[in-house]
Amino acid sequence: MFRFAFQVIGMFCLPLFLQAQGTEKPFSLHFQPVFQQQKIALDKPLKTSGGDSLALHELRFYLTNFVFLKNGAVVFAEKNSHHLLDLEDENSLVLKFQLPENAGFDSLKFDLGVDSLTNLSGAMGGDLDPTRGMFWTWQSGYINFKMEGFFEKCPARNHEFQFHLGGYLPPFPTAQKVFLPVLEKEKMRVDFDLASFFEKIDWPKKHNIMSPCAEAVENSRVLAKSFSVHAN
Amino acid sequence: MRIKNFQFLLLFFTAFCLLAAARAGWGSDPVELDFPKNWPQPTYDFSKNPLTREGIELGRRLFYDPILSRDSTVSCASCHLSFTAFTHVDHALSHGIEDRIGTRNSPTLMNLAWAKHFMWDGAINHLDFQALAPISHPSEMDNSIEKVVRKMQPKPVYRALFFNAFADSTATGERVLKAISQFELTLISANSKYDRMVLGTEIFNQQEKNGYAIFQKNCAPCHAEPFFTNHDFEKNGLPLDTFLKDFGRMNITKLASDSLKFKVPTLRNIEFSYPYMHDGRFRKLREVVNFYASTAATGQKIELSPNEKVDLVAFLLTLTDREFLFNPAFSFPKN
Repeated sequence: MFRFAFQVIGMFCLPLFLQAQGTEKPFSLHFQPVFQQQKIALDKPLKTSGGDSLALHELRFYLTNFVFLKNGAVVFAEKNSHHLLDLEDENSLVLKFQLPENAGFDSLKFDLGVDSLTNLSGAMGGDLDPTRGMFWTWQSGYINFKMEGFFEKCPARNHEFQFHLGGYLPPFPTAQKVFLPVLEKEKMRVDFDLASFFEKIDWPKKHNIMSPCAEAVENSRVLAKSFSVHAN
Repeated sequence: MRIKNFQFLLLFFTAFCLLAAARAGWGSDPVELDFPKNWPQPTYDFSKNPLTREGIELGRRLFYDPILSRDSTVSCASCHLSFTAFTHVDHALSHGIEDRIGTRNSPTLMNLAWAKHFMWDGAINHLDFQALAPISHPSEMDNSIEKVVRKMQPKPVYRALFFNAFADSTATGERVLKAISQFELTLISANSKYDRMVLGTEIFNQQEKNGYAIFQKNCAPCHAEPFFTNHDFEKNGLPLDTFLKDFGRMNITKLASDSLKFKVPTLRNIEFSYPYMHDGRFRKLREVVNFYASTAATGQKIELSPNEKVDLVAFLLTLTDREFLFNPAFSFPKN
């Protein structure tokens, strides 16, 4: 009788077991926000090469639509590919993928931000849930990149800046494509160096962005070029 | 011993199956809305938020619950009363917690499955997201969806309602918004005298016929049938309110050509949805008709005699749908 019960349960659980054991290989990307090679942690004081102090109070951004390629051809596209990376939550900086075992790859593509179709698709859960604080309530649209902090060169009160870059409608669609060559290893580190963003900002003129605008698009383009892959 | 083990495993297996079935939506009662056959297909994608009796019930509860506001004093229904076409009639501008006054007249809520934009300037792109705006606006509920979810999560009544609707008692932003949408999607107004005239089950009197002809000639391009809105943004000639300084659609698109354009409101149930215009500046229907019959309206004066004005209003009154206004399924949930 006992054996029979196991057989019945086994019959139902076998497909799940096989799926778990399936022919997949793991791959993970460890994202590391840095400033001129200095590892960024929330509220940790940093210095620019010019000697100016800065610190970040908040850093959150969406990476979406991950696609793996071999010789330019797609070998794997992640389903429901929406990830909110938050410097406050280290686990969120590690993205894990399960690729088909035979899927060789040499590069990957993803979006910095949320695409227009998703912006128009109504309420969603998980990382896209509006409770995650990355959705504009007064004008529909996800904030793709949110960074707040202190920078000595910022002329605002207490030298504090706020960059909420988002918006999907023309003429200011802010989501950007990122293309990175990668090695076929189990894990790789991706540095996200914010130094060029700080260099490009015209601090006396624009140190707060909180709505879709031309500067949000321009700054998003700079950020999309700030990723680099490392083997360890 | 063996029998006990078997019983335990059988119990475990049954529980597993029930849980799996519940997660797959088993136990919830699907609802298919009765759309008028002569209307186009809705724009709302029901496949992403399939209506269920339990989801609608949760949404209705949320709609009428002041828990959404920071100090639990104001609900959606505070500004959107069922028997006045889901708008309020006692204020030109919507009001929120602590007697704060907003900058716009609360719009009516009906036939939302066909709407493409929400709010007077179209700031909201999807019905699911609409509730976020009043929840977070400082002059309305002055709250946030994060706080709303945290506030309702420990309440047993909501845990039960969320479980019934989503097979999971956890409140999330997505579920709150989708449930409110489910209730709002049921607010279909399609049984006015006008609708019955179109279906051939009732006829207009001569005055209503005259008014309908005037309407078709002068008003229909913007207030297109059968929704009595073209779901677009138009400049109707209203001068800027220098106190409010509300430029409408231009606030969203930043295009000068959109200055003073506002979403065309439906005229359905207009008898009960006063005051009129985005800032509630006209209290009476005849004031609206007089405005369009003056040169102020986009420079395109509609020539109307006093009798024609009365006829036009007589037609507008045929857009009243009492079955919609007094539908007990839309009123405060008593259970």
